[in-house]
Amino acid sequence: MKRPLRLRLVLRDLAAGAAFGAMAVSGQLPVWALAVFLLTLVLALCDVRLVARHARLSALLLLVAAVLLGLQLTSGAMNAVVAACSFAGLIAAQRMMSTPDSAADGQTHLTGLLMVAGGAALSGDMTYALCLIAFGVLASLSLALGVVEAAVPDGEPVPVRAVLRPLSGGVAFAVAGAVAFFVLFPRLNWAMVGPRSAPGLGAASSAGFSNTVRLGGAGTIKSNPRVVLRATLTPDPERDALDAYWVGRTYDTFDGQEWTNVAGAQRTERQITLRPATDTLLHQRVELLPAYGGRTLIALETPSRLGNAVAHTPTGTRSSTVQLYGGGEVRFTLTAPSYTYEAYSLPPEGKTGTSLSLLQAEQDQLLALPEHLDPRVAQLAARVLAGEKEPLAAARKLIAYLQRDYAYTLELAGNSEDPLADFLFVRKAGHCEHFATALTVLLRTQGFSARLATGFFGGARLDGGYIVRAGDAHAWTHVLVPGRGFVTVDATPPSHRTSQASALLERVLALYEAVEARWRNSVVDYSFRDQFELASTLVRPPRRPAQASTSATSRLPPTRAWLTAAAVAFVVWRVGRFLARRPGRAPRMEATRFLDRVDAQLARARVPRFEDESLEDLTTRFAREGHPLALALVPLTRRYLEARFGGRALREGEAEHLLNTLRRALEAEAARRAPKAAEQAGPTARAS
Amino acid sequence: MKAPARPPFRARLRAWLRPPRTLSVTKVGRTYLVVTFGVGLGALNTGNNLLYLLLGLLLSMVVVSGVLSERCLRDLTVRRVGADAAFAREPFAYRWAVSRKAGHGFALTLGEDLSPLAGTGSLGHLPPGTELVVRADLAAPHRGPVRLSGVRVTTTWPLGLFAKTRVFSLEGTLLVYPRRGYACREPGAAESGPMGETGSPRHQDGTGDVAGLRELAPGEDARRIHWRKSAAAGRLLKVEREREERRTWKLALDAGLTGDALERRCEELAAQAHQLLDAGHEVGLKLPEHTLRPAAGAGQARRILQALAWVGFEDAAPGAKDGTAREAA
Repeated sequence: MKRPLRLRLVLRDLAAGAAFGAMAVSGQLPVWALAVFLLTLVLALCDVRLVARHARLSALLLLVAAVLLGLQLTSGAMNAVVAACSFAGLIAAQRMMSTPDSAADGQTHLTGLLMVAGGAALSGDMTYALCLIAFGVLASLSLALGVVEAAVPDGEPVPVRAVLRPLSGGVAFAVAGAVAFFVLFPRLNWAMVGPRSAPGLGAASSAGFSNTVRLGGAGTIKSNPRVVLRATLTPDPERDALDAYWVGRTYDTFDGQEWTNVAGAQRTERQITLRPATDTLLHQRVELLPAYGGRTLIALETPSRLGNAVAHTPTGTRSSTVQLYGGGEVRFTLTAPSYTYEAYSLPPEGKTGTSLSLLQAEQDQLLALPEHLDPRVAQLAARVLAGEKEPLAAARKLIAYLQRDYAYTLELAGNSEDPLADFLFVRKAGHCEHFATALTVLLRTQGFSARLATGFFGGARLDGGYIVRAGDAHAWTHVLVPGRGFVTVDATPPSHRTSQASALLERVLALYEAVEARWRNSVVDYSFRDQFELASTLVRPPRRPAQASTSATSRLPPTRAWLTAAAVAFVVWRVGRFLARRPGRAPRMEATRFLDRVDAQLARARVPRFEDESLEDLTTRFAREGHPLALALVPLTRRYLEARFGGRALREGEAEHLLNTLRRALEAEAARRAPKAAEQAGPTARAS
Repeated sequence: MKAPARPPFRARLRAWLRPPRTLSVTKVGRTYLVVTFGVGLGALNTGNNLLYLLLGLLLSMVVVSGVLSERCLRDLTVRRVGADAAFAREPFAYRWAVSRKAGHGFALTLGEDLSPLAGTGSLGHLPPGTELVVRADLAAPHRGPVRLSGVRVTTTWPLGLFAKTRVFSLEGTLLVYPRRGYACREPGAAESGPMGETGSPRHQDGTGDVAGLRELAPGEDARRIHWRKSAAAGRLLKVEREREERRTWKLALDAGLTGDALERRCEELAAQAHQLLDAGHEVGLKLPEHTLRPAAGAGQARRILQALAWVGFEDAAPGAKDGTAREAA
């Protein structure tokens, strides 16, 4: 058997790896499947085919794996799509490790194709597109090399370089064709929604909300730059940095170690109204990404209404109801990697006079203190407030004190039995939870109702909306002001409220997010509506803005028409230059044109020619017969043949000179024949 | 004597748009199409845009495959180089010369179209402006002239999903000799008596250089005695030459044989002629319609094989229609 080309096998294995990657980027495949395939890929790239001699054993192992996957599927531990994709990965691994023959090659490519299709069902990430293109390119190269390799005789080298050039152009056309098909093929269903972001590889939920907030530990989340939330605001604030509080929930009970809520689950509805609405609500269309990892809805401070939620599960997109919990928390009833919902918040200037209706138990907890609260806490509060009776003023005094005398740090090693006293009197340094807890408890010791709020602080501008990162997770305080309701106060130093991640990392991720957002808008969420708008734009360009209509109208074409014409002209010029520079092409074409003109002259002069008689044959015949035209035709034919096949192009004006000579010879021949014809025609006329 | 008429524009356009090609789907291609169909159904059913993207890529690859294979088959020039000798039911080397003016050709498979010849020759890469000879081991099922109508060039380039074929119209004839085998019967007795300008067959002399001397056996030709050496040795010594005892056989094909009997007899005659000519003898052939004079050497072997190959196919022989006789030797 002919030894297969190593490069082809490497390309085949890499194509299978790219196809597996298209599934793996979803983060839903089991770890053992990832490990098995990666190990197989590494071994295959090292040309180690472990199951080449144990085909039956490996088939048996595949059968066992299929049974195990089936059991997991029936027990509900695994999704059907995930199970199918995992099994496809195992089959591909088995084929890659077997003897590389044509059957194994075909089956590897087939499973690769199935894995890519499975990846489309699992993931909506942009990395899927990269894996898809990588698979298309690598598999095409491998297939093409296999086709040529099969036709090359034994012992002869496979012309790899010669194959790559036309094939790379073909693959580029295929990618362009795929994009064109994607854009133009009509979507037959208006309600189509593609898969949303899957959790991704290594994407542990980093900003999830739990039922408690426990003081202590390092604040590692502040350095996490992953985006957890995207929001589009209406009306758009049009600020680069939103610097707003995105509240998730509040806590009313503190036991000295952790914050909890006294109230539990309450009503479930499609939309929960927390506060009475006003006419000027701030609308938010929020998308919670897989990195968020929780079920709590987030909204700008102060939320009024939340709902119309859609859960993007691995098996599809479903509408989800929401449930109200204590502390104003609203949760999705469905568990999914990502969600989309709508929220309405009170505008910053219109928050007075609106208060959240609290249960009696919740109201009672707003002044509750831990049983074993250090007495120095109350003494400190009394000393700082110095008899202040107005809640908001008291809060501001405490904030000024905390920000002046306490430092912000994320390095908090070890656990303390009384973390609040440890923060206030020992370390005098902490992160947002310490500052917020301290402010809340200090206020409560002096009879001011307050509670802890958690969520995010920030919001960076991106592609017309705002993104919030995991590092923007934050805690602050709500102080109850009579007549105004809860007012947000924050003791954390302002410079440490937002994400503390590396600036470079944030910039890179912002760029990725921008591209990802384009990907989602242009590809994942592409719909018939987009197609319709695209067609409308092409057929009827967008109208000018109102102010433009008042200006003087011009009859000249718009600027884009000029630009398009210039671009087309440039392309035509470049193509013309390229064609003109092709070696050997121009002389041949010139010689052929010359031959056409000679043929045309001969045809006009009615020179007798046999059917399919070439110019060479005609000249040879005339020379043999001593025809007068041979004198003109012989040098002409010789120059044509030299120009056409001998690499000696016709000089400038030479063609005209030869044609003129031929024309004169044809005229002389015609003149010579004319008297003969007259002589022959005379008697005939008389006879008639 | 008029200039060739150019085909009308519509005919040329039709020929350009629908070139004479045949397309078949390979085994890999069938699987590919089934998967593409499945992905298309999945895309339409679920509305998953990524499946639409994948479907677009798969369909584009089909189009690209068609375009690249068409480019591979265009501007191709094929001519037959032919075979040295073709024997029935036995692989023989056959050659075509392929060239392109511009552009590369890949994975070309050449074969004879609409002929009983089995086998193909393949070429991995055909660079532009170069004529390459493609060799194939063909096999013919039976003896006789095989009419060749055209050369079939097939390519599975670029992805092996489809096999596109173009047939180059090339008229020709391949003469297939009788099958080479073993002769079960002896060729019979050699000719005796004077034949033409040759002397008595009893006085057959060897040819070639002197190979050695041996004692003259009873009944052997006394003219081959080396007298000087015999005198020195005191006994009669005969000169031995490289080719000894060249005799003349006249093989004959009985008239009236048809079908398998004719085939078997032709094969037997071919084997006997081959055996005798290989031993250096002269062999002639008597056929029902004409006769080959006895001669020796490879040329005679070829003439005998050609004559045997044409037996039963005289109507298809060149010159048969206009009545001119085909040269016998």
